[in-house]
Amino acid sequence: MSRFIPNPTPCGRSRREFLWQVGGGFAGIALIDLLSDSGFFEGKAGAATGPFPPGRPHFPARAKHCVFLFMNGGPSQVDTFDPKPELTKFNGLPYRGDAKVGSNGRPIGHLMQSPFDFQEHGQSGLPISSLFPHTAKFADDLCVIRSMFTDTAAHASGCLQMNTGSIFIGKPSLGAWLSYGLGAINRNLPSFVVMTDPRGGPIGSASNWTAGYMPASHQGTLFRSGGSPLLDLATPEGTSDATQRHSLDLLKKLNEEHLKQHPDESELLARIESYELAYRMQTTAASVIDVEHEDEATREMYGLNEKRTADFGRKCLITRRLLENGVRFIQLYSGGGHIEDTWDGHNNCVENHKLHAGETDKPIAALITDLKRSGLWDETLLVWGGEFGRTPTSEGVGKPGRDHDWHGFSMWLAGAGVKGGQAIGATDELGFKAVEEPCHVGDLHATVLHLLGLDHTKLTYFHQGLDQRLTGVLDRRVIQKVLA
Amino acid sequence: MTGALLVPVSLTEYFRHSKRCSFRARVSSLAFMLMLLPGVARTTRAASSTAYERDIKPILQQRCYSCHSRLKQKSELRLDAGALIGKGGKHGSAIVAGRSAESPLLQRVLSTVEDERMPPEGKPLTPDQIALLRRWIDDGARYPKDEVIPQTAAEHWAFQPVRQPPVPTVKNKRWPRNAIDRFVLAKLEQRGWKPAPVAGPRALLRRVHLDLTGLPPTLAEQESFLQAPSADALDQVIDGLLSRPAYGERWARHWLDVVRYADSNGYERDAEKPFVWRYRDYVINALNGDKPFDRFILEQLAGDELPGACAETMIATGFQRLGHWDDEPADPETDRYDQLDDIVSTTAQAFLGLTLGCARCHDHKFEPLSTRDYYSMVAVFNPLRRPQKGRTELALPVGSREELAVLAGRDGEIGRLQQQTNTLTAAEIEKRIQKLRDATPDLPQAYILQEPATNPPVTHVLLRGSPGRPGEVVAPAVPSVLVNKQPEFQPSGERTSGRRLGLASWMASPDNSLTARVIVNRVWQQHFGYGLVRTPNDFGLMGEPATHPELLDWLAHWFVNEAHWSLKKLHRLILASNTWRMSKAPNPEYAAADPEDRLLWRMPYRRLEVEAIRDSMLAVSGQLNTKGFGPSMKPRIQQAALEANTDKESIWKPSDDLEASRRTIYAFIKRGLVVPMLEVLDLGDTVSSCPKRQVTTVAPQALSLFNGEFVNQQTRHFAARLLIEAGSDHRKQIDLAWRLALGRPPAKDEAATMLEFREQEAGRLLAEAAKENRSLSNTEAQRAALEQMCRVIYNLNEFVYPE
Repeated sequence: MSRFIPNPTPCGRSRREFLWQVGGGFAGIALIDLLSDSGFFEGKAGAATGPFPPGRPHFPARAKHCVFLFMNGGPSQVDTFDPKPELTKFNGLPYRGDAKVGSNGRPIGHLMQSPFDFQEHGQSGLPISSLFPHTAKFADDLCVIRSMFTDTAAHASGCLQMNTGSIFIGKPSLGAWLSYGLGAINRNLPSFVVMTDPRGGPIGSASNWTAGYMPASHQGTLFRSGGSPLLDLATPEGTSDATQRHSLDLLKKLNEEHLKQHPDESELLARIESYELAYRMQTTAASVIDVEHEDEATREMYGLNEKRTADFGRKCLITRRLLENGVRFIQLYSGGGHIEDTWDGHNNCVENHKLHAGETDKPIAALITDLKRSGLWDETLLVWGGEFGRTPTSEGVGKPGRDHDWHGFSMWLAGAGVKGGQAIGATDELGFKAVEEPCHVGDLHATVLHLLGLDHTKLTYFHQGLDQRLTGVLDRRVIQKVLA
Repeated sequence: MTGALLVPVSLTEYFRHSKRCSFRARVSSLAFMLMLLPGVARTTRAASSTAYERDIKPILQQRCYSCHSRLKQKSELRLDAGALIGKGGKHGSAIVAGRSAESPLLQRVLSTVEDERMPPEGKPLTPDQIALLRRWIDDGARYPKDEVIPQTAAEHWAFQPVRQPPVPTVKNKRWPRNAIDRFVLAKLEQRGWKPAPVAGPRALLRRVHLDLTGLPPTLAEQESFLQAPSADALDQVIDGLLSRPAYGERWARHWLDVVRYADSNGYERDAEKPFVWRYRDYVINALNGDKPFDRFILEQLAGDELPGACAETMIATGFQRLGHWDDEPADPETDRYDQLDDIVSTTAQAFLGLTLGCARCHDHKFEPLSTRDYYSMVAVFNPLRRPQKGRTELALPVGSREELAVLAGRDGEIGRLQQQTNTLTAAEIEKRIQKLRDATPDLPQAYILQEPATNPPVTHVLLRGSPGRPGEVVAPAVPSVLVNKQPEFQPSGERTSGRRLGLASWMASPDNSLTARVIVNRVWQQHFGYGLVRTPNDFGLMGEPATHPELLDWLAHWFVNEAHWSLKKLHRLILASNTWRMSKAPNPEYAAADPEDRLLWRMPYRRLEVEAIRDSMLAVSGQLNTKGFGPSMKPRIQQAALEANTDKESIWKPSDDLEASRRTIYAFIKRGLVVPMLEVLDLGDTVSSCPKRQVTTVAPQALSLFNGEFVNQQTRHFAARLLIEAGSDHRKQIDLAWRLALGRPPAKDEAATMLEFREQEAGRLLAEAAKENRSLSNTEAQRAALEQMCRVIYNLNEFVYPE
């Protein structure tokens, strides 16, 4: 998994390099399969080991898939999963602690209690705010980490850190690392799918799902929840399916003639196959997003019939279908664009969170229900959270907004390999700062990789003179308490 | 003698060996000494060197190499080869084979005295690791007899001066056209191999056009060359191509990859870098004007400090400001060092082929580069400041010192006029200002950093890279492993510290062991697909050794001393060689032995870069807009790709078709939103130096090239062109299409296949229309079929993989 080691093949380049470049990533593994099916590797050096197989974890994985429910903008911990009675007690008083409050010169208000009621749920009695009545039904499945912290108070660098482990652009994202480390499962679909909010993408857009310095085949593929799900998937306007096939047949015939003069060129053959794969994807990908044939009860459960929940519900339903089809990593964004269109409740955190929680709570609960019903629950890891949290103080005296808080915030994990019904770590009594068992974003990454069977210290990619890691050079740890 | 008690050979081998040796040799033989040790012979029989490779090396590598290997030799001890472990350091051997208890290595790792225990940093070795070491030593401390002892850093080939190796003699006197061929052929002849035959004239013509200009040869160019094709005639073609603007537009892109060029900053606002395109234009002009490469270095690093600095040389320093930039950094102090890191890392990689950036937080783990080396380079660039007003970046006027002084004078006067509101009317002030502006017009603006003062700030080594933990103060210096004596950094000049000029002068010096090798290798890589060193940004210990080290040195020496750093001369030399003119024909025998073509027995096969693919499509369709230079254009991006952006309505304002039909080097590279077609076809990393493009083969490329809007638009133009230039005769259309796109007429069966396809497709379309009761004329059906043919041609493997 580390540095590319020359390992000669008759393909004109090292076998490792070749498999690497077509393999592992989006639709690449399919090419490998096809080349194998066509006997390309037969009788050639190194063929005995077989092509880069999908899924080669470092140790037995607890989860095969991961769904990251990204609450873009930064949900407030004290309004969601981190109840603070002391905050209620000191409501309206100025904050006198030592945490650096707020971002970039925004006005600092007074301590502001949560207007949302916290109830204990399930056997475990995990407290969850009234923002999530549906998700709360699965309290015993959720493992809340109340002591998350990150290194930045800005959205751009915060999103990058949560997605790529670094506040700098250009680093591969978590999904790209999983694609690189584990390969794809399905021939005809990308292994890493991203679905954004109709109001827009997160700040930094594609740099949040980039493959960075890795081959582009590992990058997240944007899936649209309606129309044509992939870029350029649809046949050009005015071209019928029959014409498409006819032209592809011509292309194939001419390319195969050309290949006869260069029988040892793996790239040429791979390229021929890539057109056939693309053609098949036109059908597969389109059928995955076609949720019209789902029964009415399912559509209702995901909230497809309500305006508020329809979009996120549709994405959650497509998520289930993508999981069924072997997609490795799916990231869903709630919130897009700026400020109140995201969880970034600077002006009115109360209304903001009612809106965004209201849009997502029911669909997320439906996804959990559905995954449990289909058995996918046992192989799927769910991660919920944003790039940071929000201050227990208001933004400006007497205002209902909250500013960014990167010293402490909450996230939850659930599903395969996760011990539910518990809250790990704690922020201080007002909810500003992680004080007990603080978990850095890198620790979360180490834990996610671990659950998917990868050791974050061994999953490396050689670039610019270093074996690069998702978790960087500092010590990060698997959060053991998360593990079931 | 105890230091020599390792067993590099098996006992059986020893006995076989000893029969042929004198008694004296036997006595001196290490293995013989071992025989005298009780108990050793018994254990060695069972032991093998596997344990060393499997268990011992990883432990030593992980915990000991950082101080005891080719990089550093504390107490003169190296542990990175079995023989060296036995040889030991200044305190004697590290081990006594067969006797772990007496071995200093084990004693030191077991020690409970804090000052004695090894390794001194971090946790002690684990009991398991210690047990492995003990067993290995007790079993005779065996290692593979063929273990290569790594060279020390100081001995590393790339750090040695460039030599001028003699050009080898070869048996086949007819094949070589120049020295390159003799170096390559000599290696092939050593194996009894023959180079691939020279490629056919059509293939060569297309190859040379695409290589030098990124555009296919026109019909006229094909006809002209093919009237009397010869090796000399191709030389003429090469000369002609090198004098075209298209050459610079092609080759500048290669350099832009290396220097992480992009038109925006990345990060949250991903703002446009104002006037950054002037740097891109500078590179194009520099290449077209064949600016000597040493001068090219001086201008990019110190164009403002040079005597005779002018607008052009100042624009060149834009190199330093091309990096990504966060206009709202979480931690401004760290951000400052991040910016410096971007410059230092890119400079070291681009010009020296060194991964110096790894030494920011600790001494480089694999290269002889220390944090001191790193921060000494930081000291060179530390005086630079980024002109900005809050989050907004500013561009600066550029010109000669005189021009800038006059401009400053004018602006001073304008400033004073603007104060005189008591004595003058607003209209009068405006009038006088206008007069001043008319007399002294504005200078062009450029996107560059500036050194605003002559007293440079103090630079510290930052412990663990943390700005909060300053260590010793460092002066500007170059990596110490590269020099016996530091180059001179002049004291501050009148305007600036002069530090960058000091660095640039050393880099551009003929004595620098890396600069010429690195650029010669980059040029070679673009011509052949692979460099002579296949890690073009890494000439350090971790880089790959050269496939043809003598040739690399000969070329580097020639480049500096004969060609006087002229890149065009270097192109001519390489392209004149028969090595470059070889065909790509397969050879199963050679391929089995040398699958990566490291011996250069043929021309390697490779896909065109996305720029050349896109530009070729435009050229073939007749739509290429050859307008050069100036602000970047924005090709259309599908709405679907914009959906995922924060400001999806405003983020991308596409240019009109005419503007978007310019060459791809003029396309706006937005770090947060790369044009999907460019991205999917492996555009380089936009954030850090990209020494070599990836070549991936994935289905989304097929989707983009077969279904994408750009290709289908060009398909229609291509068809229209065929109708105009070839008339309605299908055979003529097919023939012309082939010549335009592939530089050759179609083979008989290809032409037949195309004719058949077109008949079938048109017939099918007509039948379909009839069935659906749609009106479709025969002309329309024929045209639609023609367009499909063009679409297929653009997607042929041969179109993107030229011979």
